[in-house]
Amino acid sequence: MNLRSIREKSELLTRLSNTELDLFESVSSKVQLADGEILFEEGGVADSFFTIVSGRIGLELTSPGRAPVSIQTLGPGELVGVSWFFDPYRWNWRARALGDTHLVAFDAVAIRQKCEVDRDLALEVLGVVAEEAVRRLHRTRIQLLDLYRSS
Amino acid sequence: MTVANSMVSGPVTEAMLPRPFRVISHRFETPDTVTLELEPDDGADLSFAPGQFTMLYVFGVGEVPISISGDPHRPEILVHTVRSVGAVTAAIAGLGIGDRVGIRGPYGVGWPVGHAEGRDLVVVAGGIGLAPLRPVVYDVIARRDRFGAVSIVYGSRSPIDLMFQEELHSWRSRFDLQIEVTVDRSDESWFGDVGVVTGLLPRIPFDPERAVAMLCGPEIMMKVVANELETRGVAPENVYVSVERNMKCAIRFCGHCQFGSDFLCRDGPVLAYAQVSDRLRVPEL
Repeated sequence: MNLRSIREKSELLTRLSNTELDLFESVSSKVQLADGEILFEEGGVADSFFTIVSGRIGLELTSPGRAPVSIQTLGPGELVGVSWFFDPYRWNWRARALGDTHLVAFDAVAIRQKCEVDRDLALEVLGVVAEEAVRRLHRTRIQLLDLYRSS
Repeated sequence: MTVANSMVSGPVTEAMLPRPFRVISHRFETPDTVTLELEPDDGADLSFAPGQFTMLYVFGVGEVPISISGDPHRPEILVHTVRSVGAVTAAIAGLGIGDRVGIRGPYGVGWPVGHAEGRDLVVVAGGIGLAPLRPVVYDVIARRDRFGAVSIVYGSRSPIDLMFQEELHSWRSRFDLQIEVTVDRSDESWFGDVGVVTGLLPRIPFDPERAVAMLCGPEIMMKVVANELETRGVAPENVYVSVERNMKCAIRFCGHCQFGSDFLCRDGPVLAYAQVSDRLRVPEL
């Protein structure tokens, strides 16, 4: 998987040095999902993470007796998966393709192991994951304000 | 008395006189939002610039400022989209075909569509904020070759609150517009995007150095979007917001809408974000 061709469009990959990019490329693979296919399930082992090349991924909440409800959607260039970096490495949501979607998958276990021995890499990856987590927190706070309600 | 005479016949008084218009069409956009088409009794067109507003008077109830949501290339029909949130807007929503209202205007400074010519245009609307921006879209479509990439990003509370759905589908079917729609809360019927409008900005094509952005919606939304655009390289001078507060007379007479050094009814409602960003952070204003 040649990551350099999609580097500029990926929030994750633009942050990496060439050496780090080579490392990520060595543990990457293409993923192609048709509309409605599940990328990962809530509670599953978070042993991969992804960047979207094209299409959309919906993060869903499932509950008994009702259809899954999408709580957030992610588009091209965005990182899918934050839980892979934090113990206990379990997904908190279901991720499902909304239309045909192409992604690049990374072996989270391999990257975590590399981070154990390479603190510079760990710091860089932590920065990317934390930035994404903070961005989602900000967006969630705005959503919670219910800005568009009648007043 | 001299004073009394000047009050009943002066320019201010004349500007306060409404023209009668008749409702010729009434359509619910959402459960609490209606679009009215109005025709003037006197037959004279009401030409306007995208972003301008009128004072809409329901006889015996009251008067409110409402942005024009129609096509500037069709001045013979005045179109308003109104959400029922108070006594006057509830009365407007309850109007029927043939009912009459009073109209003053149009007033205010509209969107700088001319400034956007030759540039990429980013339109971001939240909730009923799409109504004041719809004339921009009509105008751009009518003169599409004069603009670069044109994107419309629209956020709503939920799928049922999405306005102008037929037009959103129509605009989305064009190859020369990019339309992105998101809702804060989805339901089982919704297969589109979920999340705040800022989350959609990375998807739209624009050159930050030659882009003009027009934002309309809750002030918090506009601030968040303006900040995100600035992060992406769009200068605040090229970001425009619609600040709609406390307009009463619409002729810079009563002072209710004074916002720092500007009177929103005459100097706004559309203002450059660079001009008002500091003021938008002052709770007392």
